[in-house]
Amino acid sequence: MVNRLIEPTSGRILIDGRDISKDDPIALRRRIGYVIQQTGLFPHQRIGENVAVVTRLLGWSRKRQRERTDELLTLVGLDPARYRDRYPSQLSGGERQRVGVARALAADPPVMLMDEPFGAVDPIVRERLQNEFLRLQEQLAKTILFVTHDIDEAIKMGDLVAVMQQGGELAQFGPPDEILARPATDFVARFVGADRGLKRLSLSRVGDLELQTAVTAHPGDDAEEARRRTLADPFRYLLLTDDDHRPIGWVDQDDIPRSGVLTEALAIPMSPLVSRRTTLKDALSMMLAADVVAGIVVDRTGRVLGLVTVESIAAAMRPPDRGVGAATDGSGPDAARRLAAELAARDDQELGRTEATRA
Amino acid sequence: MPEREPLIRWDWLADHTDDSAERLVEHIWLTVIAVAVGFVISFVLALVAIRRGRTYGPITAATGILYTIPSLALFAILVPITGLSVLTAEIALVGYTLLILIRNIVAGIQGVPRDVIEAAEGMGFGTATRLIRVELPLAVPVIVAGLRIATVTTVGLVTVAALIGQGGLGKLIDDGLSRRFSTLYITGAVLSVALAILADGAFVLLQRVLTPWARARAAR
Repeated sequence: MVNRLIEPTSGRILIDGRDISKDDPIALRRRIGYVIQQTGLFPHQRIGENVAVVTRLLGWSRKRQRERTDELLTLVGLDPARYRDRYPSQLSGGERQRVGVARALAADPPVMLMDEPFGAVDPIVRERLQNEFLRLQEQLAKTILFVTHDIDEAIKMGDLVAVMQQGGELAQFGPPDEILARPATDFVARFVGADRGLKRLSLSRVGDLELQTAVTAHPGDDAEEARRRTLADPFRYLLLTDDDHRPIGWVDQDDIPRSGVLTEALAIPMSPLVSRRTTLKDALSMMLAADVVAGIVVDRTGRVLGLVTVESIAAAMRPPDRGVGAATDGSGPDAARRLAAELAARDDQELGRTEATRA
Repeated sequence: MPEREPLIRWDWLADHTDDSAERLVEHIWLTVIAVAVGFVISFVLALVAIRRGRTYGPITAATGILYTIPSLALFAILVPITGLSVLTAEIALVGYTLLILIRNIVAGIQGVPRDVIEAAEGMGFGTATRLIRVELPLAVPVIVAGLRIATVTTVGLVTVAALIGQGGLGKLIDDGLSRRFSTLYITGAVLSVALAILADGAFVLLQRVLTPWARARAAR
């Protein structure tokens, strides 16, 4: 409907404040990138010609078309020299889908429509294309209307998700985290699934949480002093680190000698190491696998930044309406809520992607 | 006992190559005109049928009836109107190409994958641009298949045009039969068959040239 392949029976569609029903449909479509599930590449044209289709319709010079084509093929990760002169039938499904994205980007349209763009490829390729596309979008910053039947894809790809239910009714519209945390209707709750709590975990990263400080000491430090500090902390373990503040291992408060100095021999195997970029889902999964309650957050050089605990993850996931009390006790603002606010702000700057989910 | 006349008198044939060649050229022209005019008419009718779906039934029904009329009967109907002319011959010959060509052009264009059409529309192709740049190139294999059948059929039918004095290889066959001179009718028949095979081969080549993408698929 946005590119007027179907005309609305009522209501208006605005792009940049302009009512599209007043635009020439052909000109409108040339300004909107369009990606569909089966790619719709022209089998009789080479990859280069396929990518250049819209620029050719717009009457660009041959030289400019060619430069743009090579630029786009490179952008989607296909070597122009290798792919330019092939036919679509000589490409794999994933490669074809990339060409479809390159073609849609040809005239640098401000708005893109993607209709189940990754629906026809196998799950492994889909995952890779999704990740690549998210990275691409960070550079492109386009407004994208993305249609999918896969709620996980919607949550992963979207800054804003519109859940549509049978009969074309809008069931809920909001940031992914809000859809998962506070489904507006039973339909949405069923649609996002009973594991929506787990799904939310992959939306936030360790860096979104307020990290807990660990009690640390170096080998050679006075044991009694370290023991006293550990006893004063609610967490019963002391983290032994080297001179560069890299973790060596844990020492249980009961195992800290009452005199002498700390030695590396006291340390027991470490918790998993995570970075600020690790998703809460991965962090939790690592902790469960290692049978521990805390993960050590390290920076790029491996130095300890703090701890993430099962409890802090659970606190962050608490529904905002019930979690207010927990959030005001000084442990920092609710990470999920902050994320949602950030996303909304980004959308205001028109940098956001919009995503629609069809049920 | 008199020596029996041989099936083919090569010496006679050698003396009369000019005559045979002339008939062959006539035959080729009658065929080319019939197929070319038939294709143009079919193309227009096919586009009408595609744009206005309701007309497809009546168009195929009418050309279908035309197709079933025996050629001799059609000549008999036309001669009082258009005389013993090229026009009479061509009207009949063109008429027989329509059904096959229209069906194949329509099938070819409608056989273009739905997603390709949707993508073309979504990217801002107008109807004409889409037809020329997308639909026709993709319909080439089916359209050429129709042209092959229509051409081979026409080459055979042109021999009948000799009956209304339009020459062609049919004249050789006709003369040969009436004079009981086997060399003539065998020559006419063999040339006609050879022409049909060559024309068919030419279309196969044409298709290969027009659809390099189809071979790319096979080579994968």
